[in-house]
Amino acid sequence: MEQDDVALVHASQRGDRDAFGALISRHAPSILSLATRMMGPADADDVAQETFVAAYKALAAFKFDSKFSTWLYRIGVNKCTDALRAKKSAGASIDGAVAADDDTVAAQAADHQTPHWELEQLELAGELDREIRALPDLYRESFILKHVEGLDYDEMSAILGVNRDTLKMRVYKARTLLCRSLAHLEGTYR
Amino acid sequence: MTNTSDDMRAEELVQRFIDQELTAEERMQFVARLGRDEALRRRAMELESLVLDASRLPRPIVPAGFTASVLRRLPEPNVWQRLSAALWTGRTLQWNLGGAMAVAAVLVLAVSALVVRDRRTPGTSGTLGTSGTPLLPVRLVMMQPGAKVVQVAGDFNGWNPAQTPLERVSADGAWSVTIPLKPGRYAYMFVVDGRQWVADPFASEQKDDGFGSRNAVVDVRPDVKTGASL
Repeated sequence: MEQDDVALVHASQRGDRDAFGALISRHAPSILSLATRMMGPADADDVAQETFVAAYKALAAFKFDSKFSTWLYRIGVNKCTDALRAKKSAGASIDGAVAADDDTVAAQAADHQTPHWELEQLELAGELDREIRALPDLYRESFILKHVEGLDYDEMSAILGVNRDTLKMRVYKARTLLCRSLAHLEGTYR
Repeated sequence: MTNTSDDMRAEELVQRFIDQELTAEERMQFVARLGRDEALRRRAMELESLVLDASRLPRPIVPAGFTASVLRRLPEPNVWQRLSAALWTGRTLQWNLGGAMAVAAVLVLAVSALVVRDRRTPGTSGTLGTSGTPLLPVRLVMMQPGAKVVQVAGDFNGWNPAQTPLERVSADGAWSVTIPLKPGRYAYMFVVDGRQWVADPFASEQKDDGFGSRNAVVDVRPDVKTGASL
């Protein structure tokens, strides 16, 4: 898989847009997932697109020191951080994004006449999603990379430029905060 | 879990268990302890549930036109890329001296343009947060007249107080350290005489640390003198 990335990156660096299109198609699910968890669904698509545009512009600087996916995650995290900072300084809150997400979950349930247990799962996912987005920024990005994207601490360290011990502490704290905020879900976290 | 010290050890153990970072021996001891410590068992289960649910969060569906939409936003390839693409597509070039000199001139221009672009575009290095990020001096001050040792632990030193001791800077008990930090938000606590963890009373912001106390938070920004920067 990664070997294919190497060939596609080389071709993209030579200006082959079809090759870069293949890289986009391959990595869009993970970058869109990262942006959705970090930003909420309303802004995720735009931030994910900006991530790929920024990657393309900086592609000449990619020297294969890391996996392409690691480098791309790094750009994605920075884009999300920039966008969140811009939203905060513009006075926006994440409530809109959370509300939109709740609507999405509700619509999904209605459209598919979801059975009761699946509805519970969707509600749980919606709650968890909302609480993840309510985490402090540094805890949120660490938790998402570790437990939503399933990366190990070494790769996270390469993406975030932070040492493993600090990342572990952030993930520990994120987990504790999430357990606390989701404690009202009877039988799930208590 | 019986007292605070035990609680902290148990919490660290269970968190490392969730991360699958216990040694084989530690894991054996931990599993044995789970059998007799109900509180620890409950804590392990709630963390396991959380981690499992997070890994099962539904992946967003990539919209149908996503790739095409990104490709439309890409800048046009530069001269170097067009030339390189032409060379790699296997076309036969008709070489002659004039043509070769023209290509060499284009190459020199293209390489120069790349160098200039790299220097001018902070996005290449700055966006990625690698080299070149300015470090800003942050001065932390603590009043502890009776203390023998004051240290600070935080996000910036892996929460290892031994790495960052403060110096006594006045006879009335002021301790201080200046730390170079990249822009960002950092949680931290002072550690007095190696055992007492104290939040910075000068900090402009504090946050629940999730373990029953509050961390001070410093927001390091190039344009703002922070509350902890005295």
